[in-house]
Amino acid sequence: MTSTPMPAPAAATPTAPTSEAPADAGLRAGPLVTPPPATATAGPMIAIEAVSKWYGEFKVLTDCTTRVARGEVVVVCGPSGSGKSTLIKCVNALEPFQEGQITVDGTRVKDRGTNLPKLRARVGMVFQHFELFPHLSITDNLTIAQRKVLGRPGEDARKRGLDLLERVGLSAHAKKYPGQLSGGQQQRVAIARALAMNPVVMLFDEPTSALDPEMVGEVLDVMVGLARDGMTMMVVTHEMGFARKVADRVIFMDRGEIVEDATKEAFFGQPRSERAQQFLSKILAH
Amino acid sequence: MFANFDVSVIASSLPYLFGQGMVFTLTLTALAASGGIVFGTALAMMRLSGIPGVTHAAKIYVETMRSLPLVLVIFWFYFLVPYIGAWATGSATPIQVGAFASALVTFTLFEAAYFAEIMRAGIQSIPKGQTAAASALGMSYAQTMRLVVLPQALRNMLPLLLTQTIVLFQDTSLVYVLSLTDFMGAASKVAQRDGRLVEMYLFAALVYFAVCFTASWLVRRLQTRVAIIR
Repeated sequence: MTSTPMPAPAAATPTAPTSEAPADAGLRAGPLVTPPPATATAGPMIAIEAVSKWYGEFKVLTDCTTRVARGEVVVVCGPSGSGKSTLIKCVNALEPFQEGQITVDGTRVKDRGTNLPKLRARVGMVFQHFELFPHLSITDNLTIAQRKVLGRPGEDARKRGLDLLERVGLSAHAKKYPGQLSGGQQQRVAIARALAMNPVVMLFDEPTSALDPEMVGEVLDVMVGLARDGMTMMVVTHEMGFARKVADRVIFMDRGEIVEDATKEAFFGQPRSERAQQFLSKILAH
Repeated sequence: MFANFDVSVIASSLPYLFGQGMVFTLTLTALAASGGIVFGTALAMMRLSGIPGVTHAAKIYVETMRSLPLVLVIFWFYFLVPYIGAWATGSATPIQVGAFASALVTFTLFEAAYFAEIMRAGIQSIPKGQTAAASALGMSYAQTMRLVVLPQALRNMLPLLLTQTIVLFQDTSLVYVLSLTDFMGAASKVAQRDGRLVEMYLFAALVYFAVCFTASWLVRRLQTRVAIIR
Protein backbone atom coordinates (compact mmCIF):
# COMPACT_ATOMS: atom_id res chain seq x y z
CA MET A 1 0.00 0.00 0.00
CA THR A 2 1.17 3.47 -0.77
CA SER A 3 -1.27 5.35 1.40
CA THR A 4 0.01 8.42 3.12
CA PRO A 5 -0.97 9.29 6.66
CA MET A 6 -4.17 11.20 7.23
CA PRO A 7 -3.89 14.97 7.15
CA ALA A 8 -5.56 16.95 9.89
CA PRO A 9 -9.17 17.74 9.04
CA ALA A 10 -9.73 21.13 7.51
CA ALA A 11 -11.22 23.50 10.05
CA ALA A 12 -14.88 24.10 9.21
CA THR A 13 -15.60 27.74 8.57
CA PRO A 14 -17.98 29.00 11.20
CA THR A 15 -21.12 30.09 9.44
CA ALA A 16 -24.55 31.33 10.32
CA PRO A 17 -27.35 28.77 10.25
CA THR A 18 -29.23 28.97 6.99
CA SER A 19 -32.57 27.37 7.62
CA GLU A 20 -33.69 29.97 10.16
CA ALA A 21 -32.42 32.93 8.13
CA PRO A 22 -35.14 35.36 7.09
CA ALA A 23 -36.14 34.81 3.50
CA ASP A 24 -34.96 38.22 2.33
CA ALA A 25 -31.72 38.80 4.21
CA GLY A 26 -28.74 38.57 1.89
CA LEU A 27 -29.36 34.99 0.81
CA ARG A 28 -26.90 35.04 -2.05
CA ALA A 29 -24.02 35.76 0.26
CA GLY A 30 -25.00 33.05 2.71
CA PRO A 31 -23.40 29.64 2.88
CA LEU A 32 -24.92 26.55 1.30
CA VAL A 33 -24.41 24.44 4.34
CA THR A 34 -25.53 24.51 7.90
CA PRO A 35 -22.43 23.21 9.64
CA PRO A 36 -23.31 20.16 11.68
CA PRO A 37 -23.18 20.72 15.42
CA ALA A 38 -20.08 19.29 17.03
CA THR A 39 -20.99 15.73 17.89
CA ALA A 40 -19.79 13.64 20.77
CA THR A 41 -18.04 11.23 18.43
CA ALA A 42 -14.89 13.03 17.41
CA GLY A 43 -13.72 10.27 15.04
CA PRO A 44 -13.66 10.51 11.26
CA MET A 45 -16.91 11.17 9.35
CA ILE A 46 -16.39 8.09 7.20
CA ALA A 47 -14.13 5.17 8.04
CA ILE A 48 -13.81 2.48 5.38
CA GLU A 49 -12.02 -0.55 6.76
CA ALA A 50 -10.83 -3.51 4.68
CA VAL A 51 -13.93 -3.54 2.46
CA SER A 52 -14.16 -6.29 -0.15
CA LYS A 53 -17.06 -6.97 -2.45
CA TRP A 54 -17.86 -9.62 -5.02
CA TYR A 55 -20.42 -9.83 -7.81
CA GLY A 56 -20.70 -13.58 -7.84
CA GLU A 57 -17.21 -14.81 -8.65
CA PHE A 58 -15.95 -11.42 -9.72
CA LYS A 59 -14.20 -9.36 -7.07
CA VAL A 60 -15.03 -5.68 -7.56
CA LEU A 61 -13.47 -4.27 -4.38
CA THR A 62 -10.35 -5.59 -2.73
CA ASP A 63 -9.45 -4.69 0.83
CA CYS A 64 -10.28 -0.96 0.53
CA THR A 65 -9.33 1.13 3.54
CA THR A 66 -9.54 4.90 3.89
CA ARG A 67 -10.97 7.65 6.03
CA VAL A 68 -12.73 10.94 5.44
CA ALA A 69 -12.33 13.43 8.27
CA ARG A 70 -14.98 15.96 9.23
CA GLY A 71 -14.97 18.91 6.84
CA GLU A 72 -12.63 17.13 4.47
CA VAL A 73 -13.10 16.95 0.69
CA VAL A 74 -11.87 13.69 -0.82
CA VAL A 75 -11.83 13.10 -4.57
CA VAL A 76 -11.91 9.50 -5.79
CA CYS A 77 -10.61 8.97 -9.30
CA GLY A 78 -9.47 6.13 -11.50
CA PRO A 79 -10.18 4.45 -14.82
CA SER A 80 -13.71 3.25 -15.55
CA GLY A 81 -14.47 -0.09 -13.99
CA SER A 82 -12.02 0.54 -11.18
CA GLY A 83 -14.76 0.24 -8.54
CA LYS A 84 -14.90 3.88 -7.44
CA SER A 85 -18.67 4.23 -7.91
CA THR A 86 -19.21 0.90 -6.20
CA LEU A 87 -17.10 2.00 -3.24
CA ILE A 88 -19.00 5.26 -2.76
CA LYS A 89 -22.33 3.39 -2.97
CA CYS A 90 -21.15 1.08 -0.19
CA VAL A 91 -20.87 4.10 2.10
CA ASN A 92 -24.66 4.54 2.30
CA ALA A 93 -25.30 0.82 1.71
CA LEU A 94 -26.89 1.24 -1.68
CA GLU A 95 -24.48 -1.56 -2.56
CA PRO A 96 -23.95 -4.36 -0.05
CA PHE A 97 -20.43 -5.58 0.64
CA GLN A 98 -19.32 -8.94 1.95
CA GLU A 99 -16.21 -8.15 3.98
CA GLY A 100 -14.97 -5.27 6.08
CA GLN A 101 -16.84 -2.44 7.75
CA ILE A 102 -17.80 1.14 7.00
CA THR A 103 -18.61 3.58 9.77
CA VAL A 104 -20.44 6.82 8.98
CA ASP A 105 -20.51 9.40 11.77
CA GLY A 106 -20.19 6.67 14.36
CA THR A 107 -22.83 4.37 12.82
CA ARG A 108 -21.75 1.01 11.43
CA VAL A 109 -23.21 0.47 7.96
CA LYS A 110 -22.97 -3.33 8.00
CA ASP A 111 -24.66 -4.13 11.24
CA ARG A 112 -27.94 -5.94 11.78
CA GLY A 113 -29.13 -3.31 14.23
CA THR A 114 -28.48 -0.35 11.93
CA ASN A 115 -31.56 1.46 10.65
CA LEU A 116 -30.40 1.99 7.07
CA PRO A 117 -33.11 4.48 6.00
CA LYS A 118 -32.25 6.58 9.05
CA LEU A 119 -28.54 6.46 8.21
CA ARG A 120 -29.14 7.28 4.54
CA ALA A 121 -31.29 10.28 5.48
CA ARG A 122 -28.16 11.84 7.01
CA VAL A 123 -25.95 11.10 4.00
CA GLY A 124 -26.64 13.19 0.91
CA MET A 125 -26.05 11.54 -2.45
CA VAL A 126 -25.86 13.01 -5.94
CA PHE A 127 -26.08 10.63 -8.89
CA GLN A 128 -24.59 10.63 -12.35
CA HIS A 129 -28.04 10.74 -13.96
CA PHE A 130 -29.57 13.22 -11.46
CA GLU A 131 -32.51 10.94 -10.64
CA LEU A 132 -34.95 13.70 -9.87
CA PHE A 133 -38.49 12.33 -9.60
CA PRO A 134 -40.01 13.15 -13.00
CA HIS A 135 -43.63 13.01 -11.82
CA LEU A 136 -43.08 15.70 -9.17
CA SER A 137 -42.53 19.43 -9.55
CA ILE A 138 -39.15 20.87 -8.56
CA THR A 139 -40.65 22.11 -5.28
CA ASP A 140 -42.08 18.67 -4.50
CA ASN A 141 -38.77 17.03 -5.40
CA LEU A 142 -37.12 19.27 -2.82
CA THR A 143 -39.69 18.72 -0.08
CA ILE A 144 -40.98 15.16 -0.37
CA ALA A 145 -38.21 13.47 1.63
CA GLN A 146 -38.10 16.30 4.18
CA ARG A 147 -41.79 15.79 4.86
CA LYS A 148 -42.08 12.02 4.58
CA VAL A 149 -38.72 10.98 6.02
CA LEU A 150 -37.84 13.74 8.49
CA GLY A 151 -41.47 14.59 9.26
CA ARG A 152 -40.92 18.32 8.78
CA PRO A 153 -44.08 20.42 8.55
CA GLY A 154 -44.94 21.28 4.94
CA GLU A 155 -44.29 24.99 5.32
CA ASP A 156 -40.84 24.50 6.87
CA ALA A 157 -39.88 21.97 4.20
CA ARG A 158 -41.03 24.31 1.47
CA LYS A 159 -39.10 27.23 2.92
CA ARG A 160 -35.92 25.16 3.22
CA GLY A 161 -36.39 23.76 -0.28
CA LEU A 162 -36.97 27.12 -1.95
CA ASP A 163 -34.12 28.64 0.07
CA LEU A 164 -31.71 26.03 -1.30
CA LEU A 165 -33.16 26.37 -4.79
CA GLU A 166 -32.25 30.04 -4.63
CA ARG A 167 -28.70 29.16 -3.54
CA VAL A 168 -28.24 27.03 -6.62
CA GLY A 169 -29.68 29.89 -8.67
CA LEU A 170 -32.88 28.24 -9.87
CA SER A 171 -35.68 30.04 -7.99
CA ALA A 172 -37.48 30.79 -11.23
CA HIS A 173 -38.00 27.08 -11.91
CA ALA A 174 -39.75 26.04 -8.67
CA LYS A 175 -43.04 25.18 -10.38
CA LYS A 176 -41.51 23.36 -13.35
CA TYR A 177 -40.98 19.63 -13.76
CA PRO A 178 -37.54 17.99 -14.04
CA GLY A 179 -38.06 17.19 -17.73
CA GLN A 180 -38.32 20.91 -18.48
CA LEU A 181 -34.85 21.68 -17.13
CA SER A 182 -31.43 21.21 -18.72
CA GLY A 183 -29.08 18.55 -17.39
CA GLY A 184 -26.99 21.07 -15.49
CA GLN A 185 -30.07 22.60 -13.92
CA GLN A 186 -31.41 19.18 -12.94
CA GLN A 187 -28.13 18.29 -11.28
CA ARG A 188 -28.15 21.54 -9.30
CA VAL A 189 -31.69 20.73 -8.13
CA ALA A 190 -30.49 17.25 -7.18
CA ILE A 191 -27.74 18.78 -5.04
CA ALA A 192 -30.29 21.10 -3.39
CA ARG A 193 -32.58 18.12 -2.78
CA ALA A 194 -29.82 16.27 -0.97
CA LEU A 195 -28.83 19.36 1.05
CA ALA A 196 -32.44 19.91 2.11
CA MET A 197 -32.09 16.89 4.39
CA ASN A 198 -29.28 18.62 6.36
CA PRO A 199 -26.81 15.82 5.63
CA VAL A 200 -23.62 15.46 7.66
CA VAL A 201 -21.74 14.32 4.55
CA MET A 202 -22.31 14.52 0.80
CA LEU A 203 -21.45 11.76 -1.66
CA PHE A 204 -21.12 12.58 -5.36
CA ASP A 205 -21.10 9.76 -7.91
CA GLU A 206 -19.69 11.22 -11.14
CA PRO A 207 -21.98 14.25 -10.91
CA THR A 208 -20.81 15.86 -14.13
CA SER A 209 -20.07 12.93 -16.43
CA ALA A 210 -23.57 12.78 -17.93
CA LEU A 211 -23.62 16.51 -18.67
CA ASP A 212 -22.98 18.41 -21.87
CA PRO A 213 -19.59 20.13 -21.59
CA GLU A 214 -21.04 23.62 -21.32
CA MET A 215 -23.05 22.62 -18.24
CA VAL A 216 -20.24 21.10 -16.23
CA GLY A 217 -19.07 24.46 -14.89
CA GLU A 218 -22.36 25.48 -13.27
CA VAL A 219 -22.54 22.21 -11.33
CA LEU A 220 -18.89 22.34 -10.27
CA ASP A 221 -19.40 25.93 -9.07
CA VAL A 222 -22.11 24.76 -6.68
CA MET A 223 -19.85 21.94 -5.45
CA VAL A 224 -16.92 24.28 -4.92
CA GLY A 225 -19.19 26.58 -2.89
CA LEU A 226 -20.27 23.61 -0.83
CA ALA A 227 -16.68 22.54 -0.16
CA ARG A 228 -15.69 26.06 0.85
CA ASP A 229 -18.59 26.14 3.31
CA GLY A 230 -17.03 23.24 5.12
CA MET A 231 -19.19 20.33 3.94
CA THR A 232 -17.62 16.89 4.25
CA MET A 233 -17.56 15.50 0.73
CA MET A 234 -16.56 12.32 -1.04
CA VAL A 235 -16.56 12.92 -4.79
CA VAL A 236 -16.08 10.40 -7.57
CA THR A 237 -15.07 12.48 -10.58
CA HIS A 238 -12.73 12.86 -13.50
CA GLU A 239 -12.69 16.64 -13.07
CA MET A 240 -9.11 17.15 -11.99
CA GLY A 241 -9.61 20.93 -12.04
CA PHE A 242 -12.16 20.49 -9.27
CA ALA A 243 -9.76 18.24 -7.36
CA ARG A 244 -6.96 20.78 -7.62
CA LYS A 245 -9.24 23.58 -6.48
CA VAL A 246 -10.94 22.15 -3.39
CA ALA A 247 -9.83 18.60 -2.62
CA ASP A 248 -7.90 17.91 0.55
CA ARG A 249 -7.05 14.39 -0.52
CA VAL A 250 -7.16 12.33 -3.69
CA ILE A 251 -7.79 8.60 -3.76
CA PHE A 252 -6.77 6.74 -6.92
CA MET A 253 -8.41 3.38 -7.58
CA ASP A 254 -7.64 0.71 -10.11
CA ARG A 255 -9.12 -2.78 -10.49
CA GLY A 256 -11.02 -2.55 -7.23
CA GLU A 257 -8.04 -1.49 -5.14
CA ILE A 258 -7.13 1.81 -3.55
CA VAL A 259 -3.74 2.27 -5.20
CA GLU A 260 -2.97 5.73 -3.95
CA ASP A 261 -4.37 7.77 -1.07
CA ALA A 262 -2.51 11.05 -0.83
CA THR A 263 -2.86 14.74 -0.15
CA LYS A 264 -3.75 16.78 -3.20
CA GLU A 265 -0.25 18.26 -3.35
CA ALA A 266 1.44 14.88 -3.15
CA PHE A 267 -0.90 13.32 -5.69
CA PHE A 268 -0.56 15.97 -8.37
CA GLY A 269 3.07 16.74 -7.53
CA GLN A 270 4.47 13.27 -7.68
CA PRO A 271 2.12 10.28 -7.70
CA ARG A 272 4.03 7.32 -6.38
CA SER A 273 2.41 4.48 -8.24
CA GLU A 274 3.02 3.91 -11.90
CA ARG A 275 -0.68 3.30 -12.56
CA ALA A 276 -1.61 6.69 -11.10
CA GLN A 277 1.13 8.36 -13.15
CA GLN A 278 -0.20 6.78 -16.32
CA PHE A 279 -3.77 7.75 -15.47
CA LEU A 280 -2.81 11.35 -14.75
CA SER A 281 -0.75 11.71 -17.91
CA LYS A 282 -3.69 10.40 -19.93
CA ILE A 283 -6.37 12.65 -18.53
CA LEU A 284 -4.20 15.74 -18.17
CA ALA A 285 -2.74 15.39 -21.67
CA HIS A 286 -5.60 17.29 -23.32
CA MET B 1 -86.14 -9.76 -41.40
CA PHE B 2 -86.03 -5.99 -41.24
CA ALA B 3 -89.48 -5.64 -42.77
CA ASN B 4 -91.25 -5.25 -39.46
CA PHE B 5 -88.40 -3.63 -37.58
CA ASP B 6 -89.95 -2.04 -34.51
CA VAL B 7 -88.07 0.85 -32.97
CA SER B 8 -90.78 1.53 -30.42
CA VAL B 9 -89.88 -1.56 -28.38
CA ILE B 10 -86.41 -0.09 -27.87
CA ALA B 11 -87.77 3.32 -26.96
CA SER B 12 -90.24 1.95 -24.43
CA SER B 13 -87.62 -0.23 -22.72
CA LEU B 14 -84.92 2.45 -22.45
CA PRO B 15 -85.55 3.25 -18.75
CA TYR B 16 -85.26 -0.44 -17.88
CA LEU B 17 -82.21 -1.04 -20.10
CA PHE B 18 -80.23 1.89 -18.74
CA GLY B 19 -81.78 2.52 -15.32
CA GLN B 20 -81.24 -1.07 -14.26
CA GLY B 21 -79.07 -2.88 -16.78
CA MET B 22 -76.45 -0.25 -17.56
CA VAL B 23 -76.23 0.94 -13.95
CA PHE B 24 -75.50 -2.64 -12.89
CA THR B 25 -72.90 -3.09 -15.64
CA LEU B 26 -71.10 0.14 -14.80
CA THR B 27 -71.18 -0.53 -11.06
CA LEU B 28 -69.72 -3.99 -11.50
CA THR B 29 -67.07 -2.67 -13.94
CA ALA B 30 -66.01 0.19 -11.67
CA LEU B 31 -65.85 -1.90 -8.48
CA ALA B 32 -64.10 -4.85 -10.10
CA ALA B 33 -61.59 -2.59 -11.88
CA SER B 34 -60.73 -0.68 -8.68
CA GLY B 35 -60.40 -3.86 -6.65
CA GLY B 36 -58.53 -5.57 -9.48
CA ILE B 37 -55.98 -2.75 -9.80
CA VAL B 38 -55.33 -2.68 -6.04
CA PHE B 39 -55.04 -6.46 -5.73
CA GLY B 40 -53.18 -6.66 -9.05
CA THR B 41 -50.61 -4.10 -7.86
CA ALA B 42 -50.09 -6.14 -4.71
CA LEU B 43 -49.63 -9.28 -6.84
CA ALA B 44 -47.14 -7.45 -9.09
CA MET B 45 -45.13 -6.32 -6.06
CA MET B 46 -45.21 -9.86 -4.66
CA ARG B 47 -44.01 -11.22 -7.98
CA LEU B 48 -41.15 -8.71 -8.08
CA SER B 49 -40.29 -9.05 -4.39
CA GLY B 50 -37.57 -11.62 -5.03
CA ILE B 51 -38.66 -13.55 -1.92
CA PRO B 52 -38.82 -17.13 -3.30
CA GLY B 53 -42.12 -18.31 -1.74
CA VAL B 54 -43.94 -15.03 -2.30
CA THR B 55 -42.78 -14.61 -5.90
CA HIS B 56 -43.80 -18.17 -6.68
CA ALA B 57 -47.23 -17.91 -5.09
CA ALA B 58 -48.02 -14.75 -7.07
CA LYS B 59 -46.76 -16.34 -10.27
CA ILE B 60 -48.88 -19.45 -9.84
CA TYR B 61 -51.96 -17.35 -9.08
CA VAL B 62 -51.51 -15.13 -12.14
CA GLU B 63 -50.74 -18.01 -14.50
CA THR B 64 -53.69 -20.05 -13.26
CA MET B 65 -56.22 -17.24 -13.65
CA ARG B 66 -54.90 -16.39 -17.08
CA SER B 67 -55.21 -20.00 -18.19
CA LEU B 68 -58.89 -20.42 -17.27
CA PRO B 69 -61.93 -19.25 -19.22
CA LEU B 70 -63.71 -16.46 -17.34
CA VAL B 71 -67.10 -18.10 -17.56
CA LEU B 72 -65.72 -21.19 -15.85
CA VAL B 73 -64.28 -19.10 -13.01
CA ILE B 74 -67.65 -17.34 -12.60
CA PHE B 75 -69.43 -20.69 -12.25
CA TRP B 76 -66.77 -22.13 -10.05
CA PHE B 77 -66.93 -19.25 -7.59
CA TYR B 78 -70.70 -19.10 -7.60
CA PHE B 79 -71.07 -22.73 -6.63
CA LEU B 80 -67.96 -23.15 -4.52
CA VAL B 81 -67.70 -19.94 -2.48
CA PRO B 82 -70.77 -20.80 -0.32
CA TYR B 83 -69.11 -24.09 0.62
CA ILE B 84 -65.72 -22.52 1.24
CA GLY B 85 -67.47 -19.91 3.39
CA ALA B 86 -69.22 -22.63 5.34
CA TRP B 87 -65.97 -24.50 5.81
CA ALA B 88 -64.14 -21.34 6.91
CA THR B 89 -66.78 -20.31 9.42
CA GLY B 90 -67.58 -23.83 10.55
CA SER B 91 -71.20 -23.46 9.51
CA ALA B 92 -73.25 -26.55 8.73
CA THR B 93 -75.05 -25.04 5.75
CA PRO B 94 -73.50 -23.23 2.77
CA ILE B 95 -73.11 -19.47 3.26
CA GLN B 96 -75.34 -17.50 0.90
CA VAL B 97 -73.25 -14.70 -0.61
CA GLY B 98 -75.64 -13.71 -3.39
CA ALA B 99 -75.05 -13.58 -7.10
CA PHE B 100 -73.82 -9.98 -7.17
CA ALA B 101 -71.23 -10.44 -4.40
CA SER B 102 -70.09 -13.65 -6.03
CA ALA B 103 -69.76 -11.97 -9.43
CA LEU B 104 -67.90 -9.00 -7.96
CA VAL B 105 -65.40 -11.22 -6.15
CA THR B 106 -64.89 -13.30 -9.27
CA PHE B 107 -64.27 -10.37 -11.57
CA THR B 108 -61.97 -8.69 -9.05
CA LEU B 109 -59.85 -11.80 -8.57
CA PHE B 110 -59.84 -12.68 -12.26
CA GLU B 111 -59.01 -9.20 -13.55
CA ALA B 112 -56.34 -8.78 -10.86
CA ALA B 113 -54.26 -11.36 -12.70
CA TYR B 114 -54.34 -9.24 -15.86
CA PHE B 115 -53.84 -5.95 -14.03
CA ALA B 116 -50.91 -7.57 -12.17
CA GLU B 117 -49.06 -8.22 -15.41
CA ILE B 118 -49.64 -4.64 -16.57
CA MET B 119 -48.42 -3.24 -13.25
CA ARG B 120 -45.43 -5.57 -13.26
CA ALA B 121 -44.35 -4.17 -16.60
CA GLY B 122 -45.02 -0.67 -15.30
CA ILE B 123 -42.91 -1.13 -12.18
CA GLN B 124 -40.09 -2.70 -14.18
CA SER B 125 -40.13 0.26 -16.57
CA ILE B 126 -39.02 2.61 -13.78
CA PRO B 127 -35.21 3.01 -13.89
CA LYS B 128 -33.27 1.48 -10.99
CA GLY B 129 -31.73 4.88 -10.32
CA GLN B 130 -35.12 6.17 -9.14
CA THR B 131 -35.29 3.59 -6.37
CA ALA B 132 -31.66 4.25 -5.50
CA ALA B 133 -32.34 7.99 -5.23
CA ALA B 134 -35.39 7.39 -3.04
CA SER B 135 -33.40 5.04 -0.79
CA ALA B 136 -30.53 7.51 -0.62
CA LEU B 137 -32.97 10.12 0.69
CA GLY B 138 -33.85 7.79 3.54
CA MET B 139 -37.16 6.45 2.22
CA SER B 140 -38.22 2.99 3.35
CA TYR B 141 -39.15 0.32 0.79
CA ALA B 142 -42.84 1.09 1.30
CA GLN B 143 -42.29 4.84 0.88
CA THR B 144 -40.15 4.30 -2.21
CA MET B 145 -42.93 2.25 -3.77
CA ARG B 146 -45.79 4.53 -2.71
CA LEU B 147 -44.18 7.91 -3.39
CA VAL B 148 -41.78 7.27 -6.26
CA VAL B 149 -42.25 4.00 -8.15
CA LEU B 150 -46.03 3.37 -8.20
CA PRO B 151 -47.09 6.92 -9.14
CA GLN B 152 -44.79 6.76 -12.16
CA ALA B 153 -45.73 3.17 -13.02
CA LEU B 154 -49.46 3.97 -12.81
CA ARG B 155 -49.04 6.99 -15.04
CA ASN B 156 -47.02 5.03 -17.60
CA MET B 157 -49.54 2.19 -17.54
CA LEU B 158 -52.76 4.22 -17.36
CA PRO B 159 -53.66 3.67 -21.03
CA LEU B 160 -53.19 -0.09 -20.69
CA LEU B 161 -55.11 -0.22 -17.41
CA LEU B 162 -58.02 1.66 -18.96
CA THR B 163 -57.98 -0.53 -22.06
CA GLN B 164 -58.14 -3.58 -19.83
CA THR B 165 -61.07 -1.94 -18.02
CA ILE B 166 -62.87 -1.57 -21.35
CA VAL B 167 -62.39 -5.30 -21.92
CA LEU B 168 -63.76 -5.88 -18.43
CA PHE B 169 -66.80 -3.75 -19.28
CA GLN B 170 -67.56 -6.12 -22.16
CA ASP B 171 -66.82 -9.22 -20.11
CA THR B 172 -69.33 -8.30 -17.42
CA SER B 173 -72.03 -9.45 -19.86
CA LEU B 174 -71.04 -12.97 -18.84
CA VAL B 175 -72.94 -12.53 -15.57
CA TYR B 176 -75.98 -13.71 -17.52
CA VAL B 177 -74.92 -17.22 -16.50
CA LEU B 178 -75.81 -16.25 -12.93
CA SER B 179 -79.15 -14.80 -14.12
CA LEU B 180 -78.06 -11.31 -13.11
CA THR B 181 -79.60 -8.42 -15.01
CA ASP B 182 -76.79 -6.38 -16.47
CA PHE B 183 -77.27 -4.32 -19.65
CA MET B 184 -76.99 -7.37 -21.86
CA GLY B 185 -79.26 -9.35 -19.57
CA ALA B 186 -81.88 -6.60 -19.57
CA ALA B 187 -81.84 -6.40 -23.37
CA SER B 188 -82.13 -10.16 -23.54
CA LYS B 189 -85.12 -10.25 -21.21
CA VAL B 190 -87.03 -7.66 -23.23
CA ALA B 191 -86.12 -9.49 -26.43
CA GLN B 192 -87.49 -12.79 -25.14
CA ARG B 193 -90.61 -11.24 -23.62
CA ASP B 194 -91.64 -9.26 -26.71
CA GLY B 195 -90.17 -11.57 -29.31
CA ARG B 196 -88.03 -8.70 -30.61
CA LEU B 197 -84.65 -10.44 -30.77
CA VAL B 198 -83.28 -8.60 -33.81
CA GLU B 199 -84.09 -5.12 -32.51
CA MET B 200 -82.83 -5.69 -28.98
CA TYR B 201 -79.60 -7.50 -29.82
CA LEU B 202 -78.75 -4.99 -32.52
CA PHE B 203 -79.38 -2.15 -30.14
CA ALA B 204 -77.29 -3.80 -27.40
CA ALA B 205 -74.42 -4.28 -29.83
CA LEU B 206 -74.68 -0.67 -30.91
CA VAL B 207 -74.54 0.58 -27.31
CA TYR B 208 -71.54 -1.61 -26.40
CA PHE B 209 -69.77 -0.45 -29.53
CA ALA B 210 -70.51 3.23 -28.88
CA VAL B 211 -69.35 3.07 -25.26
CA CYS B 212 -66.15 1.14 -25.97
CA PHE B 213 -65.25 3.10 -29.08
CA THR B 214 -65.67 6.43 -27.28
CA ALA B 215 -63.76 5.20 -24.24
CA SER B 216 -60.85 3.98 -26.40
CA TRP B 217 -60.73 7.31 -28.15
CA LEU B 218 -60.65 9.12 -24.81
CA VAL B 219 -57.86 6.84 -23.59
CA ARG B 220 -55.76 7.74 -26.63
CA ARG B 221 -56.29 11.43 -25.98
CA LEU B 222 -55.51 11.01 -22.30
CA GLN B 223 -52.32 9.12 -23.11
CA THR B 224 -50.69 12.20 -24.61
CA ARG B 225 -51.75 14.35 -21.67
CA VAL B 226 -50.53 12.23 -18.74
CA ALA B 227 -47.23 11.19 -20.29
CA ILE B 228 -44.33 12.19 -18.03
CA ILE B 229 -41.77 14.43 -19.65
CA ARG B 230 -38.36 12.84 -19.31
